[in-house]
Order: sequence, then structure tokens, then C-alpha cells
Amino acid sequence: MANVLNSIVKNQTLDKPAVNDSTPFNRYETKDKIKPMEYKGKLLPSRIIGSPVEYAKDLKQDVVNIGRAARGKSNDHELGRINDLAMKLGSLALAGYLFVKNPLKLSKTMEFVGFGTFFGSMALWPKLAIQAPLKARTGVDIHQKYIDSQGRKKNVFLDPQYDLTDLYDQETLNKTGDKLGVSKDIADRNNFIKQRMKKTAVQGNTLWMMTAGFATPIMSALTCNLIEKPLNKLYEVLDLKSTEKALNKGSEGFVKSELNYLKNSKTQKAFSDFLTNNENELLDTKTIGKIAEKISGKVNSASFKNTIEQELSNLGKNNVELNVDFIRNNLSSVVPETVIDTLTNPQNEEFKTLLKEGSLDKISNMIASATGGKRREQQKLFNTVYTTLDNAKKQMEIPKVGDYKERIMLLYNDVAKFSSGKNRIDNFVRARVGDNSGSYIANQWNRVGNTIVNSLDLKNGELKSLADGNNNLLVNKLKQLAQNDDKFKATVGDLTNLINDYESKTGTQFLKTVKNESTFVCGAGEKLLNSDGFKKTAESISSAAKNGTLEDLINVHAKERASGAQSSFYRILQTLDVFKKDSTGQLESQIAELLVKNNAAEENIQTTAKSLAGKCKEIMLSATTTDYIEKLQGLTDTQYKTVMEVLFDKNLDSTIGEALNGKPGSEKLVEGLNRYKDEFMAKIANWENSITPQLSARVVDGGKKTSGLNAVERNNLVGKPFASLIQDVSKTKYNSRKWLMIWGGAMAALTAATLLIGLTFGRKNKSEKMAEEENKVNG
Amino acid sequence: MVNSIGIQNQIAKSNYNSVSFGNNNKKTEEIESEHDKNNKILYTEKKKHPVALGLKIQTDKLKNAFTTYPKKGFEGSKNANFYEFLTMGTVPYLMGSATLIGVFNLASKFFDTPAAVSASKVGKKMGIGVLFYGLFKTFSKKLVETPVNLKYGIDNTPYVKTVNELPEERNKDNLVAKEYHKIFESVDFPRWDLINDSKDISPEQKEYFKNNKAEVKEKLIKTKLFSTVASYLWAATGVGIAMQKPWENLELNPAKRVRNFMNHRQIASAAKEQGQKIKGYNWFAKDFGKKFIDSTKEFVNNGSKPAKYAGRALLAAAVGVTLLGNFSTLFDFNKYKGSKVNGASSLIDETKEKVIC
Repeated sequence: MANVLNSIVKNQTLDKPAVNDSTPFNRYETKDKIKPMEYKGKLLPSRIIGSPVEYAKDLKQDVVNIGRAARGKSNDHELGRINDLAMKLGSLALAGYLFVKNPLKLSKTMEFVGFGTFFGSMALWPKLAIQAPLKARTGVDIHQKYIDSQGRKKNVFLDPQYDLTDLYDQETLNKTGDKLGVSKDIADRNNFIKQRMKKTAVQGNTLWMMTAGFATPIMSALTCNLIEKPLNKLYEVLDLKSTEKALNKGSEGFVKSELNYLKNSKTQKAFSDFLTNNENELLDTKTIGKIAEKISGKVNSASFKNTIEQELSNLGKNNVELNVDFIRNNLSSVVPETVIDTLTNPQNEEFKTLLKEGSLDKISNMIASATGGKRREQQKLFNTVYTTLDNAKKQMEIPKVGDYKERIMLLYNDVAKFSSGKNRIDNFVRARVGDNSGSYIANQWNRVGNTIVNSLDLKNGELKSLADGNNNLLVNKLKQLAQNDDKFKATVGDLTNLINDYESKTGTQFLKTVKNESTFVCGAGEKLLNSDGFKKTAESISSAAKNGTLEDLINVHAKERASGAQSSFYRILQTLDVFKKDSTGQLESQIAELLVKNNAAEENIQTTAKSLAGKCKEIMLSATTTDYIEKLQGLTDTQYKTVMEVLFDKNLDSTIGEALNGKPGSEKLVEGLNRYKDEFMAKIANWENSITPQLSARVVDGGKKTSGLNAVERNNLVGKPFASLIQDVSKTKYNSRKWLMIWGGAMAALTAATLLIGLTFGRKNKSEKMAEEENKVNG
Repeated sequence: MVNSIGIQNQIAKSNYNSVSFGNNNKKTEEIESEHDKNNKILYTEKKKHPVALGLKIQTDKLKNAFTTYPKKGFEGSKNANFYEFLTMGTVPYLMGSATLIGVFNLASKFFDTPAAVSASKVGKKMGIGVLFYGLFKTFSKKLVETPVNLKYGIDNTPYVKTVNELPEERNKDNLVAKEYHKIFESVDFPRWDLINDSKDISPEQKEYFKNNKAEVKEKLIKTKLFSTVASYLWAATGVGIAMQKPWENLELNPAKRVRNFMNHRQIASAAKEQGQKIKGYNWFAKDFGKKFIDSTKEFVNNGSKPAKYAGRALLAAAVGVTLLGNFSTLFDFNKYKGSKVNGASSLIDETKEKVIC
């Protein structure tokens, strides 16, 4: 009862909205002339997610409102909406800045994804976690909108003291009342329903305020995490396609397409302006450096700037003819006027001859003697005169930028044409084997690593253990995998697909394309530069006679990048093969057989075979080029030979054979694997000569004497050790899983708590129950 | 967050209702005297101790936002009002900032060292970004508001409002609540009554307000518009500055800073013995200040060309909107337009019939 009284008292004494209210505006003396406006407000359809059309309309209105506000015409409602819009604009400006700042395409896009998910989460969280469940359970839409007499959209329950529940029709009130459990047989039921609706809304809005701070950033971060992966894949595919398309376009005709490229080039205009502005600058080392940087900037090579500097310094020297004016201009403050006049007298043939000869030594001597001073003074004067004339001559010999403007521009254009072609090859190579996140090779590397780690059936904590480099655990896990035929076959099958795909994108065909394109572009560049007389630059791009040209660099880079991962992938198959053979006992028996065949001196072949089997696994898991020596230390020649023969045996385990059987591309894969094994045996594991004591030299220099491999090639052929690959993948996986567990867990807990708390909303409290009891019509 | 619901004018509505409607039988004087009792303008307090007053109000609001108001809200109290809802809006701001920093930092302590280092670099920048967002947003508003205050005396002075609440099931005794409002928080309903009643505001200032209501309203709207838009651009600029490289090396771990300080002292004393002097210790404030300056320089000057220009563009937009706000609010357009509205003593033409909303 008290509650009902309260509400009656309140309705009488406290605020009452303008709805159906004819209260005179008695504060002013003008009450007779003022009357309330007829109320035209109405509820809008109750929706959890608004329509985009409405959103666009509102946005348009907000923009119009900003214009009005700038002229000083607005109201609190509009200013509130402008605040929202300004917040989004500010965030968009920030996302725009970060988009430009970020060098990587994916990170760039993620800035806008972050913007979208943040504001999306801000809007969606209260709708999904609070508004929708409450509406379903209690029938109260806590964010119910209405449109007021001025056509402004507002929330009905925003201010609980500003009662707008009169806007609801009887049918809605009845339905809501039923859902809220308001007794049907009470007097003034509507009032009870309205009070409970307001109560539910206050509770819901409070829950919104208390949870939004946690929910918005977490929801946004989790969504970004979810979107990043497919976006990365999408960019990879697009990059592969676009770079290939660009490359093909370039082959249609180097000169033609590059000329077109230059036609509207802003940078060309900027460079030309730079030369014009510096026309009077001397073409000295400093200026040459500046110009060379601008010209070479387009070509991604460290040494190219030096080449251009050399080219520019070869541009030539001015021939300075010594004459009377030269002497007069430079010596007027050094030698008395009378002496100069005497010497430069047209009748002085001797001096004329000296000038013609150009010998500064002799000229200075004659000038110093002509002063007729003491010997020491003459000597001093000679020095001064000589230095002055020498400096002046050198200064005059250095050409000015303006003297060679056209030549420099020509060099710029030639290099620009070449570099536009080279950039297309660089992009083609970068998209496939680039050392940057998002490149095909980086993603494929992760996919291969993940395939294996996923196949290991890791339990809680084991991923962390692998991330910490626990090799014993890895050995056990590989053993388990090898014992499970179905799983093993599936893993080999997945790896086959991945490795074949890698081969198709970065294998022989890829290298051939790079070779052809680079020969074409570099050849054309060389020809162009040569025909324009820039021999030095031409030679650095492509040359039959010289190594280390840009053309060589392009091909070596592509080959090295591609082969490193390729060897690592083959080594994975090789490792799985060794572990599979070990699980069936085949490895040990094969070693024993070979030891016998190789006339091993050991008495107990079985024990040695067991120990060598362990060695084989250890080598596969963790041997790098440099620590092969560690792993093989202490082996006899025969043992070494045996180990290598077993490891690089071309007969694969029968289960692998079954897994590959009939699989498209499997023949190609085996062919590639065998080629790899042959190369390894020939270039690194060559055992024909005695292993001891040359083992150290053999391993450390990788048999350089016979194979001619350099350190990078050797590393690439050995590939990344299996254990190290697993450790890297496990680390990344562990970190992202940990992050996901913390924040995904937090989000799940927050959502559960919010939903549970929401369940308590809108319920009757004790006094409300009593009030209903007391108000019962038949009670 | 609260602003995202975008209906600030509801505050005005409650004020409006509480002073205008109801109490039909009371005379105007009685209502006026109730204003005196229930609303106290803090003009003198603000003039004397602006910082202390601001802190007191903020502390009080913050305390309530985390305690009293959520309690009332969760109970669905009939005394809950829009002021309380708005005040609770601080909670998502603060919690959101903390969570955002957490999202980028919390997991990294489980990572191994290289991953933790790179995660901490990003996390540090994000943390500073959140901090700068708040600071830049708050203080940049003053760039537009202060000149208007200095020139026209339009000072958004706080006033404390005492609200008498209705008794409830769990609360029958403590029925008085305090609210802190500002006299110009609503452009629709500025509290002219409180200005008129205030003994602390000079008669000249009151006269100005009385005769220039339309102009003041116009200036209030422009001030709000430009300070709001500028504040978000400044906030974005703040985050932009926080995203620069120098912050990556800022040592935030207090234990490490103490260790560095001890090392520095040892080195300094060793150097002193040899008659050498070394640079003074990089105290946190100094370190922070230096990194701020370096980052600001990097924001507008370093990096790739587009990044440099984008940084400058963002800064220019923030400065531009601020200056436009200053110009728009300080320059008296009406004087040149010969506005009819300006100078009118009342907004209501009492000779005509009209409707109110």
C-alpha cells in the first residue's frame, strides 16, 4: 500500500510531463496567452537492431544539425547527438592516421576494423546482453524509442523521472504486465505495470553502465582477432594475383609500358624542379650525394646509390682556360696592383706563354719573383699565390648542376623506367617468398607448423612445454603420432598438399619466371642506359662480364628465400619418415644391416644400431649446419656413413607410401624429396673419404671443396631443424591461446554474469508484492 | 559512453520540470525561496579554489558513480534519475580505459622474453594512448571555453542541488541526495534564476546576461559544438603522439627505475672520485617529458612522407577547429548583422499567443 501511496503522492507533487497536461505555465504572468502544445509524440517500433536506412537518415540529420549549431542554433538533444558523431569522427581521423602510418596492408586495414569493431561492440553489447534478453523475458524494451512532437528520436526510459509510459497502448501494457507477473485482479493495474517497466529499465540501464567498460574493448579485441586471420589469407591471395598480373603486363613491352608509366609521374616533375632550383649549385660530392639518393631511391639496392654517385662524378670537368682576367680577379688582394699590371701587360709574351701552358707552378713563381722582395718573402708569396690560384681553378673546374641538367634528367628517366620494371619483379618475389609477415611463404610456414603441432594431440600445459623447448616431450609425441596410423597418414596427406602448393608457387616455375623477367627487364635497362652513355650504371644492372649485378641479386634472393623453406619442409617429411620407421623397429634393423654391409668393427651390432637410431632421430630433430659436428662427434667412418645412408634413404616407410598413394601431386612430392636427398648427400653428407679426422672440416665448411656451397646455401640446404620449427610454432600458438583464454574467458564470464544478473531484474520486491496484495479487487 | 545515447537535454527537462511544473498553488516567491534552499551556486568557491572545488566535485561524483548510484540502479529505485545515469557514465570510461590497457598488456607476462618485449612495446604505447586520449580531450575543451569565459563571463559555474527523495523499501531515512550541476549545462534552459539570485555575481554581469540571453545561448551552442569536435580531434592527436617509437623505451616498472637510480648513483660517485661529471639521473617526469617532446616531433616530422603529412593534418585539424571555435565564439557577428534578436529583454513576445513544448 505504501508503494501505491508513494506513487500517488509523487504524481501529485513531483514532475509531470507535458503529456496530456494542461498545467498553466504559471511562472510567468503570460499564462492566458500560453497553452501547451498538442502532443504528437509516439512510440517507434521496438527493434533490437535498427535499420541502415534509418541510421543513414539520422546521420544526415546530424550533419545538418552541425551546420545549424555552427550558426548558434541548436538544442541539448542535437548537441548530444553531435557529440556522438564527433566521437566517431575523431576516432575515424585517428584510424586514418594510423592507416597511413602503418606500413603493412593488413595492419592498415586492421586500424579501420578496430574502429568498426569498437563502435560496433559499444552498440551491440547492451543490445545483445541486456536489452534482448530482458525484452524476451519481461517484455520491456529498455531502449524503446519514441519520437517527440518536434520529430526527435529519444529513449522512453532514459530519465526515470520523466514518465513517458502513457505512450504505451493498452494491449502492449497488458502483454508486458503478464510477462512481468503483475496480478490481473488488482485495481489500477496499469500503474503497477508502468512502475515495474520503469524499474526494469533503471536496472537494465545500470547494468549497461556497469558492464560496457569491460565488454566493449574485450569484445572489440576478440572480434579483431577473429577477423585478422581470414583477412590475412585474403590479402595473401590478392597479393599473389595482383603481382602476377602486374608482371605479365610488364612483359608486353618494357619501353612502351615504362614510358607510359613516366608520362604522368609527379616524382619526375618534382625531380626536374629540384634540378632547376639547384641549377647554380656546384656538382660536388655533397650535391652528387643528394641527387644520387633521389635517383637511386626507386631501386631497392644498397649499392646502387654508389653506382649513381660514380656515374654522376664522371659527368666531366670544365676546361678552365687561364687568362689575364683569371689572374686579376683572384690575385687582386694578394699581389700589389702594379705587379699584376706589369705582368699582364699585353707586351709580356713570356707570361702569355705561361698562361697558355697552364702551369700554376711556373705562373706563381713568376708572380712571386716579380714583386722583387727578399727570398723568404718571395717563397711565402709563392705559396699564397699558388694555393689561391689552385683553389680558384678547382672551383671553376667543378661543373654546376645546370651544366648537366639534361644528362642528369636523362639518367633519372632511364633509372625510373628500369626501376618500375624491377619493382614489379620485386613485388612478385616479395608476395611469394618475402621476409615479411603476410607473404605467402610466411603464411605457408605457419600452416605447415600448425598442421604438425595440431597432429600431436597436446594436452594442457604440453604446448607451453614444447614452447619452452622440451625435446623429450616432442620425441614422445612424435612416437605416439607414428604409432597411430590413421592420424599419421592424415598428417602426411595434409603436409603433402601444403608442400605441393608451396612447390607450385615457389618452385622451379617461379624461379624460371623470375629469371626470365629479370633477364628481360635488366637487359632492357642495361641497353637503355648503355645507349644513353651511362656505362657504369648499365654495368651494375646487368652484365655478362661482371658478377653481383642487380639481375644476379634478384635471382639469388628469390632462390635463397625459396630454397630455405623448401628444405625445411622436406626435412619435416624426412623426420616423420625416420620416426615412423623407428616406431616399427625398421630403423634399427636397417642400421644393423648396413653396419654389417659396411663391415663395421663393432661386436655388438644391435647395441650400436640402437644408439645410432637415437642419433638419427636427434639429428633430424635438432641438427643445424654448425652443430652437425656436435651430433656426429665420436662416430667412426662406418657409423657416419651408415647414419647418412639411413637418413637419406629414398625408400619411404610403407605407411607414408599408403598415405601418398593415389594422392594428386604425390609423385611430384616424392620426386622433389629425392632430389633434395641427392643434393644433400652430394653436397653435405659426402662420405667417400674418411670421416675422421676430416669430419670437422667437412661439416664446418660443408664440403665446400667438393660442392662449392657458401654458408647461406649450406644453411638453406640443411633447413630449419624440426624441433626448432615446432618450438617457434608452439610459442606463437601458446601466446595467442593464452591471450584468447584470458580475454575469451573474461568475456564469457562477463556475459554469463550479465545474463544472470539480468534474470533478477523486473521482479517484484516484498513491498511491491504487498502493494499488489492490498490492491486486489476481490481481496 | 553515456554521450552515445545522446540525449543530454533530458537533464534540462528534469531541471525544467522541477522548477516549473507542479506546486501549482505556490506563489512565485515561495518557489524562488525553495530554489535558494535547494540549489546553491558555487561561484565564490570556484573563483577562490577552482582546482580544489573541481576535485571535490569529481571525487564526490566518482564515489557515487561506483557505489550509491549502481546500488540504487540495480534495485530499480524510484529515486534513480538521469543525473545519476549520466554520472555512472564515468564507470565505462574508466573501466574501458583500464580494460583496453589490460587487453594489450595483461597476457604478455606469460609470454617468453622476446614475445613479451614486443608485446610490452605495443602495450606501453596503447596505455599511454589511453591516458593521452583522456587528458587531451579534457584539457583541449578549455581552449575554446576559457576565451569565451574571459571575454563574456560565460562561466559554466557548478551549483549543488539538494534533492529530497521518496522513501523506499530499503531506504526510509537517508532521503536527501546531492547533485552537482552546472549553470550552463543545458543550452535550452540555462539557470538564469540561479544567476539572478546569486549575491556573488556582479550586477554588471547579471545585467549582461539579462539583456543578452539570445546571444549567450548562441555562444553556448557554438562553444559546445567547437569544444566537442575539437576535443575529439585533440584526443586523436594525443593517441597519435602516443603511438610513436620513443615511448617504447619508457621504463614504467618502479622496481627497475629504483635499480637504475641506484646504478646511476654508483656510477656518478665513481665518476666523481675521478674528477669527472656525468649527466644527472633521468627522473621519471624528465624522462616522460623528453619522450613526449621527441614523440611529438616524430609525429609531425619523422617517418614516411604520408605518415608525416597525416600527423600534421591531424594536428592542423585539431588546431584549426579550435581556432575556428575561438573565432566563431569571440567575434560578435550580430553586431554586424544588426540582429533583431540580440538585446531583446525577453525571449517571449508577450503580445502573441504561442504554444510550448
